[in-house]
Amino acid sequence: MWLWHERVFVSGGFVLLTAWFALVNGWQLLAVILSAALLHELGHLLVLGLLGGRVRALRISVFGAELVTSAGCLSYPGELAATLAGPAVNLLCGFVLAPLGAWTAAGAHLALGIFNLLPVRPLDGGRALYLLAAWRLGPAAGEGAVRRAGGLAALALGLAAVWLMMRTGGSLWLLPAAAGLLGVSAGELFGR
Amino acid sequence: MTARQTGRRVQAGAVRKNRGSRSTPARRPARRGSREAMAPREKRRLLQLGVCCGVFVLLVAVKLLLPGRMALVDEKLTGMLERNIDVAAVFSAAGRAVSGETDVSIALQDMYQAVFSPQGAEPAVEASSVAGGEEVALSLPGAIAPLRSFRAGTGSADGWLDQPAPPAETGAAVGADTATETSPGLTETASASETPSASSLAYVLYSAENLPEDVCLEQSVLGFDYATPVMGTLTSGFGYREHPVEGEERFHYGIDIGAAAGTEIGCFADGTVTAVGESSSYGKYITVAHEGGFTTLYAHCSRILASSGDQVKEGDAIAEVGETGVATGPHLHFELHQGSRYLNPIYYVALA
Repeated sequence: MWLWHERVFVSGGFVLLTAWFALVNGWQLLAVILSAALLHELGHLLVLGLLGGRVRALRISVFGAELVTSAGCLSYPGELAATLAGPAVNLLCGFVLAPLGAWTAAGAHLALGIFNLLPVRPLDGGRALYLLAAWRLGPAAGEGAVRRAGGLAALALGLAAVWLMMRTGGSLWLLPAAAGLLGVSAGELFGR
Repeated sequence: MTARQTGRRVQAGAVRKNRGSRSTPARRPARRGSREAMAPREKRRLLQLGVCCGVFVLLVAVKLLLPGRMALVDEKLTGMLERNIDVAAVFSAAGRAVSGETDVSIALQDMYQAVFSPQGAEPAVEASSVAGGEEVALSLPGAIAPLRSFRAGTGSADGWLDQPAPPAETGAAVGADTATETSPGLTETASASETPSASSLAYVLYSAENLPEDVCLEQSVLGFDYATPVMGTLTSGFGYREHPVEGEERFHYGIDIGAAAGTEIGCFADGTVTAVGESSSYGKYITVAHEGGFTTLYAHCSRILASSGDQVKEGDAIAEVGETGVATGPHLHFELHQGSRYLNPIYYVALA
C-alpha cells in the first residue's frame, strides 16, 4: 500500500513502523532519528543539486527513504560523491554533536551513517561500491564485485544477527534485520 | 522479496544503460519500478494472498487441534515480543564513546546491555564471561547456618529450611512462611493467576493487626545505589497470599519475579556474599550483605555464579534464574532484610 502525493510515495509499512517506534521509544527519539534521516537525504540532495542532477521522486518505505533521480546527467565520480554525501553528513553531525554532549543524537547520526555505509546494495555503501568498481573496472566488474562483496557481507551480518538472537534467548527484534540481510545475501549471491 | 526482484530488474537496466552513456537512472535501485508490468505484479499479489490464507488456515488448524501447545507458543511469542531494545541507550553509548567520554569497551558493554537487557543493571558481556566459570561448590551445612540467622529474631530458626513444617503448627507468622516455602505439596506458582489474589489481599495487608511483627511495610531509605536483580513480571507480591493447595493465607516474605530460566540475576547493590547454598524449599540460593545492615536473598536459582565471601558490585551476575526447590516455574524469589526485619522489596525494583 503506497500513499502518494505528487511525487512523494510513502508506504503503509513506514507509517506503521514509525507509529510503533514512537509508541515504544517516545516521540523525542523518533524526532532525533527522523531528523538524522532528513539531514542524510538533504546531503544527497545538496551534492546532487550542485552537480546538476534532478530528483524525480521520493519513496519512503520501511527500508528507508530513497530518492529517484533523473537519468543521464551524472558521471560515475559525481554520482559517487552524491551517494557518499548522505552518510558523510551523518558522520560529520555525529562527530560534531558528540563533544557537545548530545550523545543520543550523535549516536543516532553515527549509527545511521555507518549502517548506510555497509557494502550491501540497497544501502549507500553498496551503491558506492558498485559505482567505484564500475568506474574503475567497468559496469560488469562493478556488478560482480558488489554482488560478491554485498552478498558475503550481508550473509555474515545476517548470520551474526541469528547467532546473537540464539545466544540471547530469542529476542525477536533482530529477526527482521536477520531476515532482510539473509534475503539480500541470497539475492546477490544466487540471483540472476 | 518482490521488492528486491523489481529492484534487480531496474538495476540490470541501469547497468545496460551505463555501458552506453555512463548514466544511472536511480539514486538507489528503485524498489518499486516499472508500473507497466501489471500482469506479473498481480500474479504476485495473488500468490501473496494465497500464502497468507494458507498460513492463516494452518494456524487455525493448529490452534484447534493442539490448544495447549498453541497457548505455550503464544506465551513464548508474547515474551519475545515484549523484550524491547533501549534504542536511546544504544545511541547514547555510541555518542559517549566517540566523544571520548567513556572507553570504547565500556560503551560496547553499555550497548550490549541496552540491546539485550534494557533497564537491567548488569553489564551483560562482563557478566557472561564471569559466568563461563565452573559452578560454585555448594557447601550446604556451612551455608545454611548464616542463612538461619536471617530469621533468628523470629524464634523459628528450626526447620524452616529443610523440614517441611506441619501446617497445623503455623500459628506464628514465620511458621507460616516456613510452610509456604517448604510444604511438599505447596507450589509457588509463577503463573499470572496468582496476581489477582495477591492484589485483592492488599487491604488485608495494610489494615490487619495480625501482621507478622518482623515485617516492615514502610519504605526504608537504603542509603546506597541499588538495581533490579531481574527484569521480569511480578508473579507474587510481598504479603499475605492464598495457599494454592490448602486455601490458607500465608505471609510471603519476598517477591517472585517470573523470568526465563538462565536469565542472569544481577546483585541488588554492592556488598559481600554471605551464603551460598541449596535447600529443599529455596533450591539454590545466595545471600548478600550490603551496607547499613541490609541483606538480600535470591532463591530458586538454576546456578550460583559467586561464592561465599566474594565482594560483589551492584548489577554483577551472581546467579541465574531457575526453578530449584519448591517452585512451579522459573522465577526469582527475592527478599530484602534489614537486620531481622523483612522489607517489601517492591519499592526498590522496577519491573516491566
